[in-house]
Amino acid sequence: MPDGIPSPIFCPPLHPAYMAAFVVRRVFWTIPVILLVILLTFGMMRAIKGNPFRNTERNIPASIQKNLERKFHLDKPWYVQYALYVKGVFTYDLGPSMLQRNQTVNDIINEHFPVSVQLGVFAMIFAVVIGVPLGILAALRQNSLFDYLAMAFSNIGFAIPSFLTSTLFLYFFALKLGKYTGFPTFGWSGWRSWILPSIALGLGPMTYFARLVRGTMLETLQQDYIRTAKAKGLRWRRVVGVHVLRNSLIPAVTAAGPLLGYIITGSFIIETIFAIPGIGKYYVTSVSSRDYSVTMGITVLLSILIIIANLVVDILYGVLDPRTRDQRA
Amino acid sequence: MSTTDRQARFNAALVQAAEAGQLHDAGAALTRSSLWRDALHRFSSNRAAVIASAAFLVMLAFVVIVPLVKSEDPYAVDFSQAYQPPSAAHPFGTDQFGRDLLIRTALGGRLSIEIGFAATIAIMVIGILYGSISGFIGGWVDNALMRFLDALYGLPYLPFAIITLAIFGTVNFWTMVVALTIASWFTTARVMRGQIISLKENDYVRAARAIGARWYRILFRHLLPNTLGIVIVFVFLELPGVILGEAFLSFIGLGINPPKASWGSLAQDGYTAYQTHPYIIVVPSIAIAWLILSAFFVADGLRDALDPRTRVTREA
Repeated sequence: MPDGIPSPIFCPPLHPAYMAAFVVRRVFWTIPVILLVILLTFGMMRAIKGNPFRNTERNIPASIQKNLERKFHLDKPWYVQYALYVKGVFTYDLGPSMLQRNQTVNDIINEHFPVSVQLGVFAMIFAVVIGVPLGILAALRQNSLFDYLAMAFSNIGFAIPSFLTSTLFLYFFALKLGKYTGFPTFGWSGWRSWILPSIALGLGPMTYFARLVRGTMLETLQQDYIRTAKAKGLRWRRVVGVHVLRNSLIPAVTAAGPLLGYIITGSFIIETIFAIPGIGKYYVTSVSSRDYSVTMGITVLLSILIIIANLVVDILYGVLDPRTRDQRA
Repeated sequence: MSTTDRQARFNAALVQAAEAGQLHDAGAALTRSSLWRDALHRFSSNRAAVIASAAFLVMLAFVVIVPLVKSEDPYAVDFSQAYQPPSAAHPFGTDQFGRDLLIRTALGGRLSIEIGFAATIAIMVIGILYGSISGFIGGWVDNALMRFLDALYGLPYLPFAIITLAIFGTVNFWTMVVALTIASWFTTARVMRGQIISLKENDYVRAARAIGARWYRILFRHLLPNTLGIVIVFVFLELPGVILGEAFLSFIGLGINPPKASWGSLAQDGYTAYQTHPYIIVVPSIAIAWLILSAFFVADGLRDALDPRTRVTREA
């Protein structure tokens, strides 16, 4: 069968029971996936030589050493530790921090994670609000000057590492023009401090959205049903609004999964540069200070976040595009 | 000029070259490697791809030649020369220890590109092995391997790279390569599996099986050579990501350590001094962007040149 003609087998009826079965199957599948990812993280963390309590760097009496190991379950076999950890993850009790005496991993995540979520959401809003219209306009004016400029901009924005844009933003808008803009050079308090990091982090996803939307728009514009709609004499605005946009924005929804990974990676850099007390900056700190329970807790948290995002994207895609439902899950 | 026209001229030129004795085994080569010749021809008529490959080679030449030509010691500390602005003697200026940034950028580029290529090769090897085992064996093995891959898919590579470096306890060339490989091979494995599965359905594979070819002959003779095109494309797609990954790790201080330089560690030096000397971070960052963009367009051109589907639509 030639490409482009969907086989009728892959177009099941939009029956609620069918949809429910798809969703349930997909949701249940994430449980073993989460268990596996925790196991891998757990295994990697155990492979790190030494823990903060090993007697290499400081002198601790044997009895205290024993107590410490018992407190962190380090005296039990690995599968018990793993089971305890899984239980901790599902009850959201990630244990005490190994370094900061009065803090649990939960405290640290509760304190730093909301900041990162804010930063990520702002960056994503910037990316969608600028990137999607940019892609749409570029596709509607294909090969125009605007199209070339938009694509040149998005190619360069894609290639420039985020630490350069962030640092230049800091230098020009916070350091040199700080008197006029009022942008601080560090921290996360008040809307003035949100703007530069959010744009710096959202620039990459923005260019990604622009190119993706442009590509799918151009593809959709060549479809037969668009020609039909035009031939029927529909106004161009309606053709674009109803037929083109609806069909070409579906891939942008599925891009949200991979982009979350991109945002997480980017936030490590952006939070370091702008000295934002978020989870990415804390992660780097926890690794260099060997606070392994925090490192592990954050890794597992970020992984679960990605897994859930993939789940949501898959279900959304199934709802938006019935053709994919049969092949997945 | 139409495609067939161009093709005809190209063939004529080839025949001429063959007659002039410039091609070694003339008659045979024309038919034997026609796919690759075809691809080369299509690639070289793609202006963006040609410019990008030139830019890529210029960067490689820069990192190889500059350290050979410049005789200065890239590690010698001379505080009287600290933070010199760009000049004739130091085109990119000097850093906080008075070291010339031109030679350090070239040396750092060498390290970054070497790490990038090594990690890309590792990614390709793991991806090809995993993908072809999964696609070739099929059945429950394929199912299990793919479910495992599904679980890992989309995980951010940076935390896992950081943990890997913590496991090794030291940062050097090889630990960086492992760290950058460990969570980056999933896409390649998936694509390779898809390639093997679709190639398996070809008639020549069935024919080979029908005349009793062993599995290793089918895999190594019929399937893997046909994935070479996509493998080459993927080398150029993976390379930018890996080089950026190295830069990120070194930038947050968990990668290449001073006095050694990589583009990431140079950028970190630049960031520390950004308030007074903002140009220092620009040079290594532009170098990274240069490499990413050129590799990206080379990959794009290669895909157009090697993908048989685009060939059909272009010649039709």
